[in-house]
Amino acid sequence: MGRLRLLGIAAVVPLIGACGITARIEPYKQSDAVIAEGEHVVVLARKQHSNHEAEEDFVQCISDGLAKGDDGLDVHASKEFEDKLYPWFEPSTAPLSTEDLTSLLERPGVLAQVKSTGVRYLLWLDGSTDRTASGGGITCAAGVGGAGCMGLAWWEDDSRYDVTVWHIQDIESEGTIHADYKGRSVMPAIVIPIPLITRPQVHACRGLADQIRQFLTQPGGYDAGNEPGVG
Amino acid sequence: MGACLVGCGSSQVIVESTFPTPLIEPLPVKMGVIIPDELYNFIHTEDIPDQSLWTIALGDANVAMLEPLFKQMFRETTDVDAVPVAGDASLDGVIEPKLEKFEFDVPIGERDEFVEVWMQYQINVYEPDGATVLQWAVAGYGKSELDKDQEDAVQRAAIVAMREAGATISTKFSEQPQIKEWLEGKGYGIPVTAGQQAAASDSAGGVASTPPPAE
Repeated sequence: MGRLRLLGIAAVVPLIGACGITARIEPYKQSDAVIAEGEHVVVLARKQHSNHEAEEDFVQCISDGLAKGDDGLDVHASKEFEDKLYPWFEPSTAPLSTEDLTSLLERPGVLAQVKSTGVRYLLWLDGSTDRTASGGGITCAAGVGGAGCMGLAWWEDDSRYDVTVWHIQDIESEGTIHADYKGRSVMPAIVIPIPLITRPQVHACRGLADQIRQFLTQPGGYDAGNEPGVG
Repeated sequence: MGACLVGCGSSQVIVESTFPTPLIEPLPVKMGVIIPDELYNFIHTEDIPDQSLWTIALGDANVAMLEPLFKQMFRETTDVDAVPVAGDASLDGVIEPKLEKFEFDVPIGERDEFVEVWMQYQINVYEPDGATVLQWAVAGYGKSELDKDQEDAVQRAAIVAMREAGATISTKFSEQPQIKEWLEGKGYGIPVTAGQQAAASDSAGGVASTPPPAE
């Protein structure tokens, strides 16, 4: 049994290298705008898609990531913003373009309500985390002498998100940030299953929040030398 | 919040939520509002094979969504029991919502991530004498991520669908051709925005003529 475990450990070590995350972040900023003291941002999920939309937890994660720290931004709660502007940010009514936003802000009371929230930057979050591949298998058996499993299972998750930044009063699109984090997890089983799990969504949240913060606080927006937040 | 009333073998959800007052300008009309008992007490029951017997109560949420909606959509509202309306000559019309259809889907497969709810209201508008002005089907669709609590996911999807239906009712009502014609017939014209028209109406003894909406 001890030899089997040693063999197992020897087999698992290379597998640790097989799991991990690859990350790609592509920011594009088309202005030198930076957020000013007292100005708020709000993160909203695009909900027009029938088969995917940014997860509520992910929206919250980005909001929390932007707000935390000594240099945290003032982040308006997404639900509260949608409620204050109801019915204009529901899936069927939300502006899809800055032209739509212009029309919306011309409606009676809407601009005043937006101003009252203090929100200057609207961050549209689009995308999702999906399982893109999986394979392998684990077989378990039990007998008089004990129980154990053998095999190998693996899966890949892909977190792809786009953030579009609008200046809500200048009615301008300031740019976009595209993030693509792929994570491969493996679970070898030699007597017992050993899950080696990567969570690309967690890394995507951290990386996107950092990039958005740079985008909104630095005139150039993006330091190309920065490594995205891959753990 | 959703509540599992009985537990194993059946899934029971009481949809409860507060709904925001819509940020719209009211139309310059005084409307009677009929909330039928069927809407107050709406319960959807469906036995899904290989799952469970679902009972979804929407009555309280219907009222919570529609009452503030109508209050904001019109200059003045008052509750009425039925049409024709007797004893209130000041009413311009009567509005009556009904919930005609309710469908939902709770996924079974591992790769299905969303609970979906689809519902269809029927919005009827009558003259005070009972003549029909409008019969308008308004659908709402909502989905929510399926987590461990299926009942909660159904409730969240239902609330999204109701908000969606409320958004359509509040933003598209005055664009219905029958409503435009009806407003014109009452001397209110077709409003660019109801608020501008209301102001014009106030200053011109209740009669206003404004160009069509620039949507």
